[in-house]
Amino acid sequence: MREMKGLMLKKEAEKTPGPMTDFLEFKRHLPKERVLLDLAIVAAAFVLLAPILKVQRVTDFMIFCIFVLSFDLLYGYMGRLSFGHMLFLGAGAYGGGLCIRYITKDPLLAILAGIVMAGLLAMLIGLIIVRTTGACFALINLAFNQVGFFLVLSVLRKITKGEDGLGVVPAGLGWLNLGSRPIMFGFVLFFLLLAFYVLRRVTTSPYGYLIRSIKEDETRVKFLGYNTFLYKWLTYVLAGCLAGLAGTLSALNYGYVNPNFMDTHRNVEVVFAALIGGAGNLYGSIIGGVVYMVISNYLAIYIPRWEMVLGIALLILVFRFRQGIWGYVRKKGAQRSISPEIGIEKG
Amino acid sequence: MLDNNAILEMKNLDVAYGHAKALHDVSLSLKQGETSFVIGRNGAGKTTLLKTIIGLLKPLKGSIIYEGRDISGLPPERISLGGIRYVAQEKKVFGNLTVRENIELAAYGLGEPMEQALDKVLGLYPKIKNFLKMKAGQLSGGQRQILLIGRALVGEPKLLLVDEPTEGLAAIVIEDVTAILSRMKGRVSAMIVEQNLTLVSRLADRIFIMKEGKVEREMAGRSAILDTRELEQYL
Repeated sequence: MREMKGLMLKKEAEKTPGPMTDFLEFKRHLPKERVLLDLAIVAAAFVLLAPILKVQRVTDFMIFCIFVLSFDLLYGYMGRLSFGHMLFLGAGAYGGGLCIRYITKDPLLAILAGIVMAGLLAMLIGLIIVRTTGACFALINLAFNQVGFFLVLSVLRKITKGEDGLGVVPAGLGWLNLGSRPIMFGFVLFFLLLAFYVLRRVTTSPYGYLIRSIKEDETRVKFLGYNTFLYKWLTYVLAGCLAGLAGTLSALNYGYVNPNFMDTHRNVEVVFAALIGGAGNLYGSIIGGVVYMVISNYLAIYIPRWEMVLGIALLILVFRFRQGIWGYVRKKGAQRSISPEIGIEKG
Repeated sequence: MLDNNAILEMKNLDVAYGHAKALHDVSLSLKQGETSFVIGRNGAGKTTLLKTIIGLLKPLKGSIIYEGRDISGLPPERISLGGIRYVAQEKKVFGNLTVRENIELAAYGLGEPMEQALDKVLGLYPKIKNFLKMKAGQLSGGQRQILLIGRALVGEPKLLLVDEPTEGLAAIVIEDVTAILSRMKGRVSAMIVEQNLTLVSRLADRIFIMKEGKVEREMAGRSAILDTRELEQYL
């Protein structure tokens, strides 16, 4: 009887075109020109930074920005703070690294292998993890990250080469030699823009509204007929795939992969970066990624215990700029565009 | 035996929060197109009743028959897709989305074209057009309530559950909410928890009076309902 009633309501639900059918419908919400402008701004910013901060360093910054973008999809948009996101960065790095070592040296296939490896892992553990919220979500992620770290460090040593790690030397991309720093810069920039584009599209679609609403009040989203588990799981997998992309690019950029790519202690970096830039916004993730990397790369030269400065910066953010740098900029901008008479945004 | 004209029937329903029973052997029936009200003192089990229907609480025993199907224990999203909508007491909209996005989210989830959904909400309350681009979190309590009721009507619902729609609202806004609810009367069945007896006497086809987790009394027919003095003793 219970199965029958479930089946009847399920049939009714299947007739209903949910947001899955319009998963990436965004044209009405975001004009193409606006997306192109966003991409141009991001590309121009990194191209301008490259001669100032050195190409190799900016390449590293861009990879970290992809990682922050993936983390922010979970934390900033869906409201799920993870202390174990390095697991997917590491899975991507090892996926790509092992592909180059044992299967093919093609860098594009290595990237695909890294994304698939991280995505499959996210699909599997996401089935358990997305059922939780709050501290439980954060700590289960950390636990899986720790398990992954010890797997690559010791259990799978024969394949991963344990602490020594693997050399990752890809073949060229046609006539492009990825060993050349400017070419690697362009290669990573392409993937950063691709990740930014995908996320811009996703976060401004009805699916984007949905995950932002889950952050606000998941129960009320269910009242609108949404199976929130499915959308949380999809978001988790997407975030895992993007982190995997960052991991593979990182392995290609450094030319090796070792357990540090999955080190749980490094989770704090991405959390700091998302908070500094402003969670829940793609520009915030980019700004946070760059600012964090500038602080960690340059402050360390002048101040031996630079982490202390980072801690103080975080305290200032928490007390003074809770929405991060980009959130603060937007707030100031919005204040200027509000009409004091009626309190409605112009235009 | 199921009443052929009933959209919702609850039979011998027991609901508890942990070990504390909140509903005891509740049985009631709501007819198609009827606007029913649930009244009673605080703690009588009115909100628990609505939460059980929408699937937020699982009954210990008993059944909830909606359009001939037992929906007790189904998750809220399945019940929503089946045509029951719930407007909770807290008047919580998705504050970080704009008013338009709030409506759009409902339209996508419930399979109604956006323009149609928007027309429906604007038809209920045309003034909301001025606020479409505004973050829903910036709306007043009354505007939020109207948005919530409008949003609940997206996707052709058959039964609307509304918890205390006029609580905490200014008199002029209560008039707006009353006008909206009266426009819906007959088009969609409704079960409304309400303490405002003026509103109850104006709209009710049936009243369930709850006391200590039980349906103490049921009143049906306009003539029985019009005397609000009799109802006051139950509040």
